[in-house]
Amino acid sequence: MATDPVFLAQLAANGLSVGLGYALAAIGLALIFGIVGQVNFAHGELYMLGAFLLYWATQRLGLPYGAAGVLVVLAMGGVGALLAQIVIVPNLQRSFESVVLGTLAVGIILQNAVRLIFGATPLDVSSPFEQLSFDLGGVLVFGQRLLVGAAFVAAFAGLSALLRYTEMGRAMRATAQNPDACLMVGIDTRRVTRWTTALSAALIGLAAVVICPLFDLYPNMGTDVVIKSFAVVIIGGMGNVWGAALAGIALGLAESYAGGLGNATMRDAIAFVLMIAMLLARPHGLLGRTVRV
Amino acid sequence: MSARQAAGGVALAIALTLPLFVKSPYILHIAIVTGIYMVLVQSLNIVLGYCGLLSLASPAFFGMGAYVATLLALKLGWDSGVTLALAAFAGIVTAVVIGFPSLRVSRHAFVIVTLAATLLLQLVALNWEDVTRGSLGLPDIPAPRFFGVAVTSRIAWYYFSAAAALGALAATWLLVSSRIGRAMVAVRDNEQLALACGIDAFRTRLFAFCFSAALGAIAGGIYAHFITYIDPGVFGFSVTETLLIMVILGGPGTLLGPLAGAVIFTALPEILRLAPEMRSLIYGVILLAVVLYHPRRVFA
Repeated sequence: MATDPVFLAQLAANGLSVGLGYALAAIGLALIFGIVGQVNFAHGELYMLGAFLLYWATQRLGLPYGAAGVLVVLAMGGVGALLAQIVIVPNLQRSFESVVLGTLAVGIILQNAVRLIFGATPLDVSSPFEQLSFDLGGVLVFGQRLLVGAAFVAAFAGLSALLRYTEMGRAMRATAQNPDACLMVGIDTRRVTRWTTALSAALIGLAAVVICPLFDLYPNMGTDVVIKSFAVVIIGGMGNVWGAALAGIALGLAESYAGGLGNATMRDAIAFVLMIAMLLARPHGLLGRTVRV
Repeated sequence: MSARQAAGGVALAIALTLPLFVKSPYILHIAIVTGIYMVLVQSLNIVLGYCGLLSLASPAFFGMGAYVATLLALKLGWDSGVTLALAAFAGIVTAVVIGFPSLRVSRHAFVIVTLAATLLLQLVALNWEDVTRGSLGLPDIPAPRFFGVAVTSRIAWYYFSAAAALGALAATWLLVSSRIGRAMVAVRDNEQLALACGIDAFRTRLFAFCFSAALGAIAGGIYAHFITYIDPGVFGFSVTETLLIMVILGGPGTLLGPLAGAVIFTALPEILRLAPEMRSLIYGVILLAVVLYHPRRVFA
């Protein structure tokens, strides 16, 4: 059974689809670190907030899944700009631990506020893609998982184009390279910080929209996302968006094979093992030292 | 100074005689938990207060200590002196695994790895059911036994917990007044200057992290014996949240400030009868306010 090629192919398909989700969830985190040099510890709670906003928009307002999704991504962009304004911009000149603690505090507030408002009972968001599945020569592929993959490709292409061809994208890359020089040529790094955080929050909002129908919604659901996102960011090289994307896919595949050929404990431990091994062997991640955003 | 010594003496006298005039099991229970928290705050205080290093791994050490002490007591029935020492050792091993690779890279990597490692350990505790019984947890943890004498009554527990708190205070004092303790403060205040003076910042930080891990793991072991039941929740993030509030508001980098933080923030939620969600929400708001309005308070 374990060496059956169809089974191995199924594991690869599962791993790839899970990994694309990890990559989508982690690129926002890598983006903030790469450009502004700050770590957003509210990242997981932003994911949770996106999922609950989607629940609210589809179940309470009765919007269709697609329209609600667009609304959530836009709203999360606003939340990101607010987060930047309140926590990150005032702390840009201080030690980075201030932003860590500040975003951590925001995460705690969000998580407990949602728990007080929605309760701790798991909720469910349904999506029209959930019932779809395709059989490719014995390998099952699910519609919602395909949507996650499509969202990742679209987000990654969009992000690359934005960073390469727009004025703000160039300002972001300049800030990543040398914030002091940016000030000299008239780039407002605080404005760049706000846009970067907004973009990062919109990306995690998109991740929540496409991924959360696969799971239950509960107030500390962000924890599961943040563990994997942090591991992915370390494995891929901190602040390296390409590295994060590759590392996410690699982690998904590794977990799928460890879980399929080993057991659940091995599946859960592999992120930890890969993270530590990567720090020991290649401290600057898969793609090396250069910050590439 | 003499006024402070007098206040300290009064506090110590009250602490040592508390069971003589307080008979309420509820209040004694809270006092015992406070003692365990006094060990934990010193664990975070050493890293955050004295070494200037933000660690989110407190629950990792607490949970490792709780599971190691529990499993040794349940499966092998060893003396608690031995099991708590091995729990401390497990904490140190965890600290080396987390700290050695990440401290070499950067403080950013360190803080990320401390959080990710803690959450992953919780996941492993949840799914490694052969050993931890997963979310069912491990019940019926026996009372701690030292040389055949078991700590069972609430008053015995009170003094055991007070002794642990005093032991942690003494250990912290010995550490911070030693050469390596001064090196920790030097690395915290000015890393470049410390390096120029021949202080190995990496080794100093790793040592502080391991020392704090040992204290945290011992606290976890004691907690498991006291509550007599543990589940993967011992790795939960709420421990970090509470400890950060206790240490930062108490005064990081001081010996007694975090102890006051431990007393106030164990007693206050009980007095106000706050729901856990409300308590966490308020802690989050306090933490955010401190970061935004008194950022110098965070690092001594």
